[in-house]
Amino acid sequence: MQTTGQSTRLRRAGRGRDAFWLYMSLALALLALEIFGPGFPRQLRGYANDVAAPVLATLAGPIRAAQSGMERIAGVSDIYLENQTLRDENGKLRQWREAAQRLIQENEQLRQILKVPQREISPVATAHVIGVGGGAFERSVLINAGSGDGIAANLPVVDELGLVGRTIEVGYWTTRVLLISDLNSRVPVRLERTGEVAIAVGLNEPFMHLRFLAANSNVQVGDRIITSGHGGLFPPDVPVGQITEINNDILKVRPLSALGSLDFVRVMDYRPLPPEVKQPIVEPNSTGRPQ
Amino acid sequence: MPASAKRSGVLGFAGFMPVGVSLLLAMIMPLPLGSGVAGYAMPHLVMISCFYWLSSRPLLMPYGACFLLGLLLDLWVGVPLGVNIVSLLLTRLFVLNQLKHYRGKNRGVHWMVFTVMALSLFSLSWLIMSIVEGTLLPLKTVFLQWLVTSFFYAPVAFILGRLRRLML
Repeated sequence: MQTTGQSTRLRRAGRGRDAFWLYMSLALALLALEIFGPGFPRQLRGYANDVAAPVLATLAGPIRAAQSGMERIAGVSDIYLENQTLRDENGKLRQWREAAQRLIQENEQLRQILKVPQREISPVATAHVIGVGGGAFERSVLINAGSGDGIAANLPVVDELGLVGRTIEVGYWTTRVLLISDLNSRVPVRLERTGEVAIAVGLNEPFMHLRFLAANSNVQVGDRIITSGHGGLFPPDVPVGQITEINNDILKVRPLSALGSLDFVRVMDYRPLPPEVKQPIVEPNSTGRPQ
Repeated sequence: MPASAKRSGVLGFAGFMPVGVSLLLAMIMPLPLGSGVAGYAMPHLVMISCFYWLSSRPLLMPYGACFLLGLLLDLWVGVPLGVNIVSLLLTRLFVLNQLKHYRGKNRGVHWMVFTVMALSLFSLSWLIMSIVEGTLLPLKTVFLQWLVTSFFYAPVAFILGRLRRLML
């Protein structure tokens, strides 16, 4: 009887080991696929997000309501002070609005005179952030708009303050956005004050580093950086961040967009130009000389 | 749950509860909690759940379920496929091999065992991610998630314990 019990346990243990190695082999195969052929897993993730989206959107509702309720309770004590500050700010903003409207008109007239094409980029979609991804390793968010809304991969995403990131995995109803603070993010930028170009590099931290800036550049704490438009992935002149610390060669940049509390974001309809067709500009004639 | 059914091991739908609860926690993990650190300060709730259920009812959390949970988590959180699958499969292997040493001990011992296991698994995940990305990733965020996950083990395990008493 004891022998039968022992053999049953051994059989079960053997089956357990087989199952472990079977599933572990599958996991390693998936990892190999990620390393050597990232196209398929990316597509699969895009559609898997579509499945989870309704649940995430449903669960996110009460969480946002609870957060906003707590913020309201916390803000009641400061309401008088906040009201006073807002009044002052409102007065200043009115003056700025008048100045801005005057400048817009002037700018438009000058554009028409000089025949400069329009630079405004319309949004493809405005979407709600329904998920945060990446765990400890990546910085990304999930938004509730996908290819059904006209979104494609590698489109820039902004909020009301500045650049948020770019679209990477596109499902039908959802899209994953790689944030500019992610380790894999590289944004070509320039200093707004001096025009010097550099690259803003994500670090998986709340701040970024500015690299490849000319050695004798005139950079100061507080300088704003904006996209340069180089590389064709991001449009020029979108606010990216502000220099907060200069320590020898390390320049720390705080992103201007609210990466920590994203709610609504806009996906911009900015597509890189199609690759140039390689053909001679001037057709040679029969003698071999250009016409 | 009737006592006779508990004794005979017939659980019906209640038997799916460990996997169901872990699945729900997998859906909670990618929720936007309104903080920039939410991504990596979010405890690994599925690892906690798997460890808890494997320590109390190992038969209700087979390798297939660990694989499925890991796959869905990888897909929803947006990390390379396989990272969480390997973690959860190793969680089951670890618990089944080490359970005899801490079964019946108090909750503090369970907490300590989980903390040590989680440290190894987070280190392994960091290594796998570094290989996939082709660069050494920063350790700070991984360390922070390990700390948060270890801290949250006690309250989450307490809630899961209440559920287990209620349903199983």
